[in-house]
Amino acid sequence: MSRQAKRKQNPELIPWRLYVVVGFVLLLFVSLIARAAYIQIIEPDKLRHESDMRTLRTTSNQVQRGLITDRNGDMLAVSVPVRAVWADPKHAHDQKAFVDMRRWQALADVLQEPVDKLVNKVKRDPKKRFVYLKRQVTPAVADYIEQLKIGGIYLKSESRRYYPAGEIAAQLIGITNIDDVGIEGIENTYNTWLTGTPSKQKVRKSRDGSVVERLDIVQEGESSNDIVLSIDQRIQQLAYRELKRATETFQATSGSVVVIDVLTGEVLAMANTPSYNPNARDNLQSHRMRNRALTDTFEPGSTVKPFVVAAALEAGTVKSDELIPTSPGWMRIGGRQVRDSNNYGDMSLAKILVKSSNVGISKLALSMPVQQLLGTYQSMGLGNYSGINLTGESAGLIHDRRRWSDFERATLSFGYGFTATPLQLARMYATLGSGGVLYPVSILKLKEAPKGQQVLSEQVANDVMQMLVGVTEAGGTATKAHIDGYPIAGKTGTSRKAVAGGYGDDYVAIFAGVAPVHNPRLAISVVINEPKGDKYYGGDVAGPAFAKVMSGALQMLNVEPISKREAIQMASAPRSAE
Amino acid sequence: MNQSALNLPRLVLQDIWHHKWVVLLSIVVMINAVAVVYTSHVSRKLTSQWDQLLQQQDHLDIEWRNLLLEEQSQSEHSRVTRIATKDLNMSRPLPKEEVVIRAN
Repeated sequence: MSRQAKRKQNPELIPWRLYVVVGFVLLLFVSLIARAAYIQIIEPDKLRHESDMRTLRTTSNQVQRGLITDRNGDMLAVSVPVRAVWADPKHAHDQKAFVDMRRWQALADVLQEPVDKLVNKVKRDPKKRFVYLKRQVTPAVADYIEQLKIGGIYLKSESRRYYPAGEIAAQLIGITNIDDVGIEGIENTYNTWLTGTPSKQKVRKSRDGSVVERLDIVQEGESSNDIVLSIDQRIQQLAYRELKRATETFQATSGSVVVIDVLTGEVLAMANTPSYNPNARDNLQSHRMRNRALTDTFEPGSTVKPFVVAAALEAGTVKSDELIPTSPGWMRIGGRQVRDSNNYGDMSLAKILVKSSNVGISKLALSMPVQQLLGTYQSMGLGNYSGINLTGESAGLIHDRRRWSDFERATLSFGYGFTATPLQLARMYATLGSGGVLYPVSILKLKEAPKGQQVLSEQVANDVMQMLVGVTEAGGTATKAHIDGYPIAGKTGTSRKAVAGGYGDDYVAIFAGVAPVHNPRLAISVVINEPKGDKYYGGDVAGPAFAKVMSGALQMLNVEPISKREAIQMASAPRSAE
Repeated sequence: MNQSALNLPRLVLQDIWHHKWVVLLSIVVMINAVAVVYTSHVSRKLTSQWDQLLQQQDHLDIEWRNLLLEEQSQSEHSRVTRIATKDLNMSRPLPKEEVVIRAN
């Protein structure tokens, strides 16, 4: 009330003052609104850009290379993240990193390199933007280097591949190079499958560095895949140990062993000597890295004789109870001589195999057309890739020509004039064991047995198996390959190595076979290349290793051994056919 | 005039009542705005937590890989065989020494 009264008492209003004040206030508001509108609507990009510069980051997640495991989940190759130390010489110079040399000394100590060399690497060319100082350092060392805070020294994520199995499966698994690319073996063949690509994503980070907003994905990543091999690491380890022992005992140049599951065609072990340590790759020798079990071929010698018998039985040119005259222990074919070590007289088919008679087997080969023999060899996988699909596999060499001299036909029957790999040999015996069904060889664990191909009749395959039992029993050529409890159907082979213009003085000693005969599970081939010393026969050199691997592997697979009585019954069964 | 001037609060209330929907909506807008701020804050916190969990997962993965390597080297078959035969005086029975026990 009193105010109204005052107003009434002071009616003189000075309008321009009011207008000036109101005008100023309005101007203030308008300019504020204009500024706000300018920032918000007309030109928001600049500030947005400024904000993004401070908060937006692109993160990438590192994808580790896939694991390689054996059929039971044992690790054969594992990638572990490590860091690479690199330098940006320009940054180092700009940030005057060389002032405090104590830090460089600490860096050199932890990297175990001379400090002069290290500094020189960075100092030499200040225009350079990138130089590796050390690759694959452990996370602990990386943390230490991070805390040294040397200007221009940075760390980068990478991964290192470890092979827990070491030299045992080195050639099969292969290795990766320093950039994590597979260059040998499984690592090479399945490189794309094992390799993942990192995904990149834009994120917004808060002041303390934690991600507060996930924006669009810049690059869609792909996760890596694992591989489960058909290898059984226990058998692999046993096979390698026995092979190594045989190679050293007989001072051989090299050796291979292949173990195949008869029922599925899966490779349970594949080992080679000499081997190398894939975890210490400073002095790799390429000849040690070759997976000889499938790259190296040799003339299989007497080990193919059972298949000549099978071919003859299949062709019907001989009956299973027929006797073949081999007297006088040698024969002349086309001006060349084929001879046995003794005059064995009339021989049953089983005895031809047990004594490994060249004369007997040549007669069988000459009794059938050469195409029948070659066809049998080829249908069992010779001269063809096994289906294992690994880099460097050799198909072997088997001539396919029209004209063959009689002597050449005879040599084909005792394993000369064509070549095979240890893998192919094991596969041939696996085919015998599976009742004449040829399976593609697989290095990956299979969910179910693949569709096989019947290449021999079951009757013939079983007959030949029974004939081979005698090889490892008293009077056979490979008594050292005998195992009590697991009857073996196997065959020795000793072939001279071909050199330019003929055959040299070096041998390849082979033993291949399947066991147990009554319920075949495994086929194994052992090939010892160039044994030096007095012994070079397949039965002496490769036989013992075969027996050790076979009996150990069958025990590991819980295959029931047969009792003595059963063994006698079995042994007498084929004898009655004689 | 006098009467209305005396009842100014009432007038204001009447006016508000007259525009009750506008007032209500503006209150809702205010609440909404605060809720937006709040949820975005919560979502940021969750994202940050998620990120931390992812990092933790990475660390655990690295640890797992290293443990895997250790397990593998400890349980390496030739090492187990060596310990069993040398240190524990065990031996693997030959196939002929095996005794098969059948369940049926």
